[in-house]
Amino acid sequence: MTASLVHGDHVSCSRVGGGMRREASRLRQHALSLEDAIGELVVWKGPGADAARPAIVASWEALRATADVLDEAGEALQHYATDLAAGHELGRRAELRVHSAGLILDGTRVIEPWGPASAQESERRCSQVPVVQARVDLATAHVGRARGRLARQMASLAQALARPPATP
Amino acid sequence: MPADHRLDPTWLDVVATALARSSIAALEASHELLAHYADTGDATTQRAVDALVNHAAGTLSALSECLADTSRELQSA
Repeated sequence: MTASLVHGDHVSCSRVGGGMRREASRLRQHALSLEDAIGELVVWKGPGADAARPAIVASWEALRATADVLDEAGEALQHYATDLAAGHELGRRAELRVHSAGLILDGTRVIEPWGPASAQESERRCSQVPVVQARVDLATAHVGRARGRLARQMASLAQALARPPATP
Repeated sequence: MPADHRLDPTWLDVVATALARSSIAALEASHELLAHYADTGDATTQRAVDALVNHAAGTLSALSECLADTSRELQSA
């Protein structure tokens, strides 16, 4: 059963997060190879070296910094995927609770259904609304917190992305 | 103008090759980022994720060009 209370696809978030971290790992390997190669250039002196070295070092630093940002972004997405999966489960359980109580959802609000009902049935449903609403709120708040956290992390990481060095 | 202290020229090739490989890896990573979609289920969060992905892909693409340019300059040094 697909929960309609909580939207989103945790599998795709996990996959993209994992992909980011794999790419980050590959870029780090290349940065390490580059670092080793640069280390051999310390004996290179003169105008040619002075002109080339800053560009090489700047590229290496940008590569390493970008890999770090990608890894952090991937980790954040993977954490979000876990939170979203838990949110789906909480949402699924909350929806079951809504239906078993004879209530319905209007967005994220638990309400009594339209239509004729005995006074006893109506009173029973009405008394259950707060408890069932609390279950729904638990699911939406869980996912809401995770979304807020992810959005903040993404905004911060976007700012941290290294600007590529100017070509000399 | 002072002459360059010559190092083994093969080391310049080694660095140029490392730069060229890094350039290819950065470009591939850029394409890979744009090839997949993470459905967060919320418009605001989605915009933040998409913005980061697009920004990272752009940065990697620019970095790839930069690395390739530096590699070419070293090869011709």
